[in-house]
Parts: sequence; C-alpha cells; structure tokens
Amino acid sequence: MTSIPEYVIETYGLTKVYRSGGGAVVAVDKLDFTVEKSSIFGLLGPNGAGKTTLLMMLTGLTLPTNGSGRVLGYDIVRESREIRRRVGFLPEGFGFYEHLTAEQNLEYIAALNDIPKPERRKRIEDILSLVGLYEVKNRRVSSFSRGMKQRLGIAQALIKDPELLLLDEPTAGLDPEGSRAFKDLVLKLNSEGRTIVLSTHLLFEVGPLCSSIAIMNRGRIVVQGRVKDLISKLMSEVGYKIYVEVRGDLGKLASALTGMEGVRGVRIGVDSLYVDSTRDIRVDIVKIASDMKVEISSIRVEEPSLEDLFIRYYRGEASNA
Amino acid sequence: MPSVYTVASREFSDIIHSKRFIILVAVFSIVFMVGMASIYLTVLSMAQGLGIAMPTGFLGRAASIIASSMSYFAPIVGIALGCDAISGEREKGTLKTILAQPIYRDTFITGKFIAAILAVSIAVSIASLVNVGGSIVILGVTPTSEDIARLALFIVFSILYAISYYGIAILLSTIARRTTQSVIVSVTLWAIFTFAIPIIASLVAYMYRPITGIEIIQRPGGNVTIRRPSPEEMQRIIEQTRARATITEAINSITPNYHFTKIIQYILGFMQGGLNQSLSIYQGLVSAWPNILVLVLVACITLIASYMVFIRQEAR
Repeated sequence: MTSIPEYVIETYGLTKVYRSGGGAVVAVDKLDFTVEKSSIFGLLGPNGAGKTTLLMMLTGLTLPTNGSGRVLGYDIVRESREIRRRVGFLPEGFGFYEHLTAEQNLEYIAALNDIPKPERRKRIEDILSLVGLYEVKNRRVSSFSRGMKQRLGIAQALIKDPELLLLDEPTAGLDPEGSRAFKDLVLKLNSEGRTIVLSTHLLFEVGPLCSSIAIMNRGRIVVQGRVKDLISKLMSEVGYKIYVEVRGDLGKLASALTGMEGVRGVRIGVDSLYVDSTRDIRVDIVKIASDMKVEISSIRVEEPSLEDLFIRYYRGEASNA
Repeated sequence: MPSVYTVASREFSDIIHSKRFIILVAVFSIVFMVGMASIYLTVLSMAQGLGIAMPTGFLGRAASIIASSMSYFAPIVGIALGCDAISGEREKGTLKTILAQPIYRDTFITGKFIAAILAVSIAVSIASLVNVGGSIVILGVTPTSEDIARLALFIVFSILYAISYYGIAILLSTIARRTTQSVIVSVTLWAIFTFAIPIIASLVAYMYRPITGIEIIQRPGGNVTIRRPSPEEMQRIIEQTRARATITEAINSITPNYHFTKIIQYILGFMQGGLNQSLSIYQGLVSAWPNILVLVLVACITLIASYMVFIRQEAR
C-alpha cells in the first residue's frame, strides 16, 4: 500500500510582484510546490531566483500579489502569526542585539514567543548546548564569529521547538568546520522528525543533505521532486553512462555494442569501455560479452550528480531536451 | 500574544543604558551649567554698569535661560532616540529576526513608542532638574511653590515637545533605508525649524509690511537722529509693526519650536522682552492650549504615520 505524503508546505499559483518607480519585478511567478513532512528539502537556485521572497511569503513577512499557500495547514495570509509561532525561521541577513549576550538575545526571542518564564532558562540552555554555544552563553554577541552568529541564528529558530525549520542561506560565510557542524545539526534535527527547508545558492554545501529539492530560477520552479527520482528522470532524458571493466578483446566487444539499439556511442579505455546509451543495457552487455567469451570484471551505471541535475535544469536544458 | 511590555522593556533598557543617552544628558548638563554661569555673570555686570535693576524671583532670573536651553535639548533628545529606531533595526538585521517571531508589527512599534516616551521623560526630567538645581546654586535664589508648580508644567510640556521631534525622527527612520539618511533629514529639518524659518518669516514680513514713516536725518558731523513721528504716523507704525508680527507668527507657527516657545512663555509667565508674571498658571494654560494642541497633534500624526508606513512596509 502506498502512503499518501503529508505536506507541511503547499502553494498554489503563488506570485509576488515588486513595484517600484513605475516598474515591476516578478520575484515569484505562479509557484506551485509542496514540501513533504519530515523531509530535508533543498530550495536551490542562483541569487535573485526568488527563494528569499518565497520564504518571506510563507512566513507572512511579505504578502503575495496572487495565489495562495498553506504552511502546517495555516493560511499564509490570514494565519501568518500562527505560522510564525510554529515555524522556526532563519532569515537571510538576520541580526542580533550585539551589546547583549547570547543568552539575553534568546531570552528576548523566547519572551516574544510567549514561552513561560519558568521554562525559558532550561530551554535556552538546552538549545545553546545543541548548537554548541553553551560555553559562551554569557559573552556579548559582538564578540562572536560569523559561524557562532549563524549557530545562534539557528538557536533562535529552534527556541519555539518548531515542527518546521526554514533556513535561508544557512551556510553563507561558514568555514568548512562550521559547515560540517551545521550539516550534522541539520541531520540531527531531521532525525527528531522536524522538516527542514534549506534555501541556498550553495548547492554543494547542502545539496547532499536533501531528500527532495526544488530548483528555482527567475521566480519559477524549474524542477522539483525527490533527489532519487530526479536523477532517474535525468538519466532517462540524457542517457545512461555505463562503465564496463573488461578482460579480453575490448575492440570486438566495442564493435558488437556499437550496433545495438539505443547505443549512442562507445569509447574504449585501457581496460574498460564507456557506453553511452539511451536505456539501461547492462543485461544485454553481459549477455553479448558472455557469448563472445569476453570476461567482464565489473559493470556499473554512472549516476549523474546533483551538480549535473542543477546545471541541466538551471540552464533550462530539460525543457529543450 | 507577546505583550507590548516585552518590546518596551527591552527597548527602554537599551536606551537608558546606551552611551548615546548618557552622553547626551551629561553633556547637556555640563554645557548648561557653564552657559548659565557665564550668561548670568555677564548680565549682572552689565546691569550693574548701567544701573539697571535685575529681575526679581527665581523664574524672573532663570526662566528665559532654562526655556532657551530646553528648546535646544528636547529636539536633540527626540531626534537622537528616534532617528535610528526602525532604520537601525533594519540595518542590523534585528528587524528580520524579530518579525520572524509571532509578533504583530503594531506591537513592535507601539513598544518602541512607549519606551521612547519613558526615556524622553527621564532625559528631560534629569536635564530640567539639573537646570533648576544649577540655577538655584548659581543665582542664589530659591523657587517658590508657585515656581515649582510652573517648573513641573514646564517639564511636562518639554517632554511633549521632545516627543513631537521623536515622532518626526521615527517617521523619517521608518521611511529611510539607512540611518544616515534619517539623521541627515531630521537634523536638517530641526535646523530649518530653529534657524531658517524665523529668518524667512522676518524677511517675508519685511517685504510685505515695510515700516514707513520713520525718517532718519543725517546731520553735519555724522550725527544721526530719528525724526519724531506725528501721532497719526505713530499709529500707522504701530499697525504696521502688528501686521509684521502677525505675518512672522503665522510663518513661524508651522514649526513645533514656535508652539513650544509660546507654551513656555505662558506657563513660566514671561513674555518676549520682559517678565510677565501677571498670568496665573490656569490663565497660562488656557492661553497656551492651542499651542499645546498643535504639539499633541504633531506627536500623534507623526507617530500614527510612522505606524502606518511600518505596517505596510515589505520585508525584503
């Protein structure tokens, strides 16, 4: 039995047009998209693709020009405060009161979230421990490094114990160590059942964490889905790169494969063949090699990477294919 | 729902612990004490030299100096607290962090207003007390109970005056993208209201109502005398002077400064050019109510306007 996915975010024709000085810029254009519960969702795209505007609309900080959306079942226009009560949001370009300590900043955020006073201290300490800032909780934020501020940003998003986290450009400015710590934290939070939306132009930083992605460009979602499904789809569109390690007559096997249906090209290496095919012909290759008494030591399909996926859809090649 | 109190208490704590606030009050107090002493000593020596009697009573001697120093201090406090109230939060990114919480924008801005009103009240009260205390020490005259009542009202209206400038500054801070823009425009506006408008008012009055009939006679040897005008000419000159004053006041009345000066003249019981303690406190309040109303309106309109602008602003 197939389970019906439960969505924490749904948008229908969501549009945002910024008007200024007589001109109009379509930041988000008739967007339909969904985010499954308990997933790590990557909202990928270059700067100016409309990712931040989309997140702002989802949290009610910017009103849509058209369309509608629901976050955790709440309407993004009419019930935005309920959304902000339940969703932890790390906006791009966020800031803290630098003259206050990390703890004092979180104390204020906790008060704004109506967290009862007796609970606050423990929750703040737990979260500071989780993000690795407990030891420096009494230090002023002005003395924090970029990475520490980023972790404090995540802490403020977690203070309300949210089901859903929206993190806009969360790894921007982080050093490799900070970036790794961030990834570990995201995986840990996800393992607790939280849905995490990572909006970034730094594909390689967070892409590998994501179970689902949407690639945005010029206010539109170019492609969306589970990473595994999208890679399969890409392979069916661009073809299969099959790598065959062979012991025996390489040339003979290459000639036999060249004439096969679906094979677009065969390249001969030192002890291997690269077959470019429109379909998965691994079984056929093994059979032909066996008939020709050529020994295959290994055969595998080289899957396209997330980078290939991004480049292809971002450049709009998919629509032309 | 997070209360306005949460925002107001943090904002208030930030303001009164800020270096800007402490420096402003301290510098003003020092400048006032030095200024008061030097002005008083100069006036005293001139009066003794010319054989003119010094005004009597505490307010008679101190009122104009206290009022004039407050007319500079209150707007500066209002501008200093308001000019980065919103734009500063926007620049530091704290506005995004706060608005990402389940808080209505009106709660946020109302909290800021309340905190600013409290902070302005404290700053003006401290400055006034330093003013009055310094005056007692320097002049050696103790205020009467009526003087104290008048000074209490003076503090109340000084707070109102500072809040009207705070309203202007926070409105500019809400509209401006950067704090430097709101600071420049606020200070420029204050300078225009304080210095430029009175000059423009006098020039316009002079252009439209020149005073004629005064004949200056140059005698041999360089002596200059003014011919005594006839009673008819004198009547005309008085009317022209009144008309000029009306034009000047009409133009000046577009500034909060003018209304504050008028209120203080009525409340402290002195008028331009001399002391006029004949008005009781009640009569002073009755005479000053249109000016009080204008300051209340300036504060309310600017605060409501900044509230509306802020509510409608896009977070980007």
